[in-house]
Amino acid sequence: MAPILEGFLFVLHPLHFPFLVAGVGLGIIVGALPGLTASVGIILLLPFVFYLDVSTAMVMLCGAFCGGIYGGSIAAILIATPGTPSAAATVLDGYPLAQKGEAGKAIGVATIASTSGGIISTLCLMFFAPKLARIALAFGPEEYFALTVFGLTVIASVAGKSLSKGLIAGFFGLMIATVGIDPVEGYARYSFGIPNLMGGFSLLPVLIGLFAISQIFVQMEMVGKKVKKYEQKIGRILPSLNELKKLFFVIVPASFLGTFIGIIPGTGGAIASFLAYNETKRWSKDPDSFGKGNIAGVAAPEAANNGTTGGAMVPLLTLGIPGDVVTAVMLGCLLLIGVRPGPLLFKESPEVVNAVFAGLLLANVLILFLGVISVRVFPKVLRIPPSILFPVIFTLCFLGAFSLNNSTYDMFVALVFGIIGYVMQKNGFPAAPVVLGVILGPIAEDVLARSLIISHGDWSTLFNSPIAIFFYAISTISVIYSLKQQFADRESGTEQNDKK
Amino acid sequence: MRDLRSIEVVLKGGRRTIICLPPQSKRGFMGKVEIAIGACLMILSGVFYGITFQFPEQTLAFSPKIFPRFVGICLFILSAILVTQGTLAVRKGLADEPTKPTKAFLTRLLCAILIGYIYTQLLPIAGYIVATPPFIAGIMLVFNEKRMIRIGACAIITTSVLYIVFRIIFKVPLPRFDLF
Repeated sequence: MAPILEGFLFVLHPLHFPFLVAGVGLGIIVGALPGLTASVGIILLLPFVFYLDVSTAMVMLCGAFCGGIYGGSIAAILIATPGTPSAAATVLDGYPLAQKGEAGKAIGVATIASTSGGIISTLCLMFFAPKLARIALAFGPEEYFALTVFGLTVIASVAGKSLSKGLIAGFFGLMIATVGIDPVEGYARYSFGIPNLMGGFSLLPVLIGLFAISQIFVQMEMVGKKVKKYEQKIGRILPSLNELKKLFFVIVPASFLGTFIGIIPGTGGAIASFLAYNETKRWSKDPDSFGKGNIAGVAAPEAANNGTTGGAMVPLLTLGIPGDVVTAVMLGCLLLIGVRPGPLLFKESPEVVNAVFAGLLLANVLILFLGVISVRVFPKVLRIPPSILFPVIFTLCFLGAFSLNNSTYDMFVALVFGIIGYVMQKNGFPAAPVVLGVILGPIAEDVLARSLIISHGDWSTLFNSPIAIFFYAISTISVIYSLKQQFADRESGTEQNDKK
Repeated sequence: MRDLRSIEVVLKGGRRTIICLPPQSKRGFMGKVEIAIGACLMILSGVFYGITFQFPEQTLAFSPKIFPRFVGICLFILSAILVTQGTLAVRKGLADEPTKPTKAFLTRLLCAILIGYIYTQLLPIAGYIVATPPFIAGIMLVFNEKRMIRIGACAIITTSVLYIVFRIIFKVPLPRFDLF
């Protein structure tokens, strides 16, 4: 127990706790605003956490992660527009509740469910992660190469509708990662004599451009269109004790479901929330009431989507493989602040790990307090005009990109990748595989080079390890599964077209 | 506020409800845009591969050209697959009509990109305090803000707050006026 207590003492210290509060608060606000996602919230925090010590930075990012996932429920309930993709299922019963004048109760239930889901998943993280890290300590360069292949294929196969587009995005990211000094011989590739290109593309401007600036461009399409507002007053917030007792049997299973889904790389909050909603409805004594304002229909998806936060951190912290799009962004952020996720993190920096565990637990408790206290403020937050919000975010993005190396070149890179990200988004190319390609590309090349140097150029060494073969097998299965899903979607689409 | 997909769901008992889902590609099937993008990527990956012939030969077991060549070949193959899928979809008549952006939006987008580019060039010369308020004001105008007082106030307040946060709290050196 002692190590986790040290983590709590660290997080609760007056010098560190305000950063956790700020992270959770900002995450909730950004998650609540339609047009911005938890990923954007984490990216916007990056320029600030850069100057903090590693543990405090991790705690702040985890707070923003949890807050962002929870924040999506607010817009989902008040204006039927999920603030994050993982809150999509919350609209089904949350909005009808708000229409009946029970928005306060819906948000209260969402807050309690999110807190519970987050706490349960963090406890699972604390149990599973050290065990998985011990297994991963046995990994050599061959296993790590197979792991990077696995990470790339899984994210590419589930990040979007099209496998080919997902893989193209991933390889595009790998292509970007090859620009600059190669990790083995130190040769400057694709620099064309330009000094800025010799260093390659920094991860922060790429992240800012692909996720934040591209989203600003997307929001320009909404200029001149009517913005949904919530006009009613927020009434009673907390459900009754009876309702809470009934919700216990909804929240706990949904939390475990979310945790399990989060552990599987390439899934995420959206899948978990819909699964939890469907299962809760299936096992309910009154399934007809779902979709009409049943509080269990709010509790289940919210418990599940916040349940994915701890679950997704398991592969992220132990293997360096993100569980979903948001943790793919988290991975980039961790690398930028000097944290290399993986089994060695548990061995060499246990204080960081303990701070993360304590930070996640306390972040979820903070969600309960901040959510209940500020529930009447949320409708006002949603009224912030886009003409004020997005210029401020645009400026913050540019300053964030600049602050990395005090270079306006990085601002230019962010702008270019913002344009690329916008074009990608409009044409169905997911951004998460690009980020993974940029992150995993140098790692993959480095471990591949080491394997080949050790084996004196023998490529068969990549297939000698059973663990490596296991990861290649899962990669193949995920690609085949994704292809099957694609063909199935296409056939059902063809049938619908024929019917029309 | 988001460009969401909406689907109408018929619940048991005939009641209908609208579900708003997060934005995804509007097209489930490939079209001419995919053919164009695939073709561009094929050219890009070809050029990417071709440049590797300028890289030095290996001195260790791993040359700097191996990984880029692997990436170039894979990207070329995937782009060719994308072009093929797009062509088949167009031939079978399964391709959705691409949503054409409005002229107003394109103008806004180009203005925003231009303003952003000018800001990156002006910042090291004019400095943060001089360059940032016009940038914020410009982007607010792009977002159709018409109230000049609000534009002025927002530009000055945002510039000041970010200056305090970055320069004073985090001690990030921001560009200064450097014209003379």
